[in-house]
Amino acid sequence: MLPILQIGPLALPTYPLALLIAFWTALEVGGRIARRAGLDGDHLYNAGLYGALALIVAGRLAHVAAFWSAYRLQPGEIIGLNTQAFLWGPGAVIGACVAAWYVYRHKLPWAQVWDAAATGALVGLVIAELGAFLAGNGIGAAAALPWAVSLWGTPRHPVQLYAALGLALAAAATVWVVRRGGRSGLAGWVALLGWGVTTWLVEPFRAESATIVGGLRTLQVVGWAAVVGALWGLRRRSSDR
Amino acid sequence: MSRPVWSLLLGLAVVVGAAGVWAGRVPQEGAASAANLPPAPAVGHPAPDVALTTVAGEAFTLSALRGKPVVLNFWATWCPPCRAELPELQAAHERYAGQVIVAGVNQMEPPASVAAFAGQAGLSFPLPLDARGDVSRRYAVRSLPTTFFIDRGGVIRRIQIGPVTEATLAQALQTIFP
Repeated sequence: MLPILQIGPLALPTYPLALLIAFWTALEVGGRIARRAGLDGDHLYNAGLYGALALIVAGRLAHVAAFWSAYRLQPGEIIGLNTQAFLWGPGAVIGACVAAWYVYRHKLPWAQVWDAAATGALVGLVIAELGAFLAGNGIGAAAALPWAVSLWGTPRHPVQLYAALGLALAAAATVWVVRRGGRSGLAGWVALLGWGVTTWLVEPFRAESATIVGGLRTLQVVGWAAVVGALWGLRRRSSDR
Repeated sequence: MSRPVWSLLLGLAVVVGAAGVWAGRVPQEGAASAANLPPAPAVGHPAPDVALTTVAGEAFTLSALRGKPVVLNFWATWCPPCRAELPELQAAHERYAGQVIVAGVNQMEPPASVAAFAGQAGLSFPLPLDARGDVSRRYAVRSLPTTFFIDRGGVIRRIQIGPVTEATLAQALQTIFP
């Protein structure tokens, strides 16, 4: 495990650093694919940055709303720098809406943006999973396997590496579809399918998962829904031909 | 691929996917499974035991508190964010008296300085003294303050690195004191 990256006197937390690199890489890859499709790559950067900003603001506002009784007594904390005071779920929904609004506002072609954003996001997620592996975040369930990694005296599934591998394969397939020059929108559905299959397969190997009714793993259900949605999208495309 | 092939794939994904989601669900005895894991400073693991003496000269043993949720904070008087969050911990100690145990493990400071600071700040919750830093090392505390939220069964449910505010404390307490 390498939760802190020590560079001389500088101690950098590995996971937040990996997330930052992942976000930048996702924008860079997405921008390149957008340019390849004849779009202005800067638009993708802008949509991503506005979306990220909205995610942070909405994530904090959701936290304020959920714990208003605490903020009422300390209103200064609403703009405090506490990195724990966010609810990322609502923030992500608002962030996606703001990015979508940017695309709509600038009359960008949805299919091309979908291809670029989905491919970029997959590459970013690969980096985020590698960062999680180094930092020891999102650890795997206990397992007696030759390739298990030992954490705190327990051999475990290197679940972040499983996820990184699955997502890397999905990203490679998506880039292949982009390079093949198929109809726009296809790469985005392939990326969603790859993400869904990977999440559906990998999530049960995690030690801790958020659950919904009956112990069902929330992310696995979302992954399953993504697979069904992606196949529906691909089926629709095939019937459009 | 033709439309019927896609339809077949879609049907398969619905059925196989549902079966996979059902098979992958978290076992209901998930909490009990933590008992099979070694104590470690990680979410889902039993909390490593702490046996120290408090600044008031009383024995503090974490395992003896089993049955009650525990907020185990690591701090030092020279750490400004620690000093900023201590009133929040004191307020939680008063608000949840008898229901949640709040304890502030002081890292390697002379008892007299800790006692003077605690008196000045009006801290009345237990302040175990980690004189040699052994407990901090066992809990892999890399920066101060760090707070562990331990449920009634002695299992770590959340780790917060950095200061708690009333809001983040309320959020974290939901994991051990619903």
